[in-house]
Amino acid sequence: MKCTRCKKTAAVALPRHNAGFCPECYGVFFSRQVEKAIKERELFSKEDKILIALSGGKDSLALARELQLLGYNIAGLHIDLAIPGSSVKARGHVERFCSDFGVDLHVLEMENEGMPIPEVRKKFNRPVCSVCGRIKRYYFNRFAMDNGFNVLATGHNLDDEAARLFSNVMRWDAAYLGAQGPDLPGDQGFVRKVKPLYRVSEFETANYSFLAKIDYCYAPCPYSKGASFTFYKSLLDELENEQPGRKLSFYEGFLNRGRQAFARIDQEDGEKLCPCPRCGYPTTGEICGVCRIREIMHH
Amino acid sequence: MQILIEPENQWATIDKATTVLNLLKELELRPNQALVIRDGELLTPDRKVGPQENITVRKIASRG
Repeated sequence: MKCTRCKKTAAVALPRHNAGFCPECYGVFFSRQVEKAIKERELFSKEDKILIALSGGKDSLALARELQLLGYNIAGLHIDLAIPGSSVKARGHVERFCSDFGVDLHVLEMENEGMPIPEVRKKFNRPVCSVCGRIKRYYFNRFAMDNGFNVLATGHNLDDEAARLFSNVMRWDAAYLGAQGPDLPGDQGFVRKVKPLYRVSEFETANYSFLAKIDYCYAPCPYSKGASFTFYKSLLDELENEQPGRKLSFYEGFLNRGRQAFARIDQEDGEKLCPCPRCGYPTTGEICGVCRIREIMHH
Repeated sequence: MQILIEPENQWATIDKATTVLNLLKELELRPNQALVIRDGELLTPDRKVGPQENITVRKIASRG
């Protein structure tokens, strides 16, 4: 297969774009997809101070590298979850990346916050992924708010977003559907959240990271086995294989023609936010979810 | 041909495959589910592969 742009031997084949790219031209393709997402959805500008959630995986590191190359004002935040055999490796990848590419890095340790994930896991009778996700979202938001960042960027890609949309549709969860998208505005204690990789697939970020010589962590989280999103992703992979381009049209169709309706329902019927009396960050209940987890950990 | 499968870090021997697409089929993977790497170079599904080669197949699905 030849590169669609320069006719050299292609390194990456992309059926959904009916194209192939050599390593040099693939970088151009990837940059254009990210820039298109930023411009079309007005995600942020060069004036914004952007905090990137860095897990050490291919997506978050690819995002940091690309936004750095595009000239945005970025810094990274890594949350060390204290999972044996996993967190030390992930943190090592993030630290090496930030040192090699000159990205400012902040690290928060859940051990110091009294919530190491293995201990949290012992206290809850349900999959730890949702609790862990809640804790990470809380601390990413709180760190951004406390440290003057006005945008929080995550490495969620098209596969993540399409699988999440599929999951929300399966449950017809109006509140989640109304709040899903690559551009969630900042409001009432929440920093603006953006997902600049929503147009590129997991396969595309993996290729980008490999070609950009990013030493990323590809070992899965030991606690994530059997997560429902992994199953939804494999279903959507089958669909994409039969109908290239279907994932993006499913997700963009929702953004352009479905999301507003669900957002309206949620505005009318959804729960209202108020500050948590303990930490001051927004909650729909009396005490926010993370303060409740902290309370359970102390008992 | 010797195949290193990541992230499991398992080795497999596959002799029947003559192209990357065949190799992925033998491993029950779709072309968009893994990077196929030979001597530090990414291979597209149409590329030929030979019996004496060492190839890495890195699955790309992130979990957690």
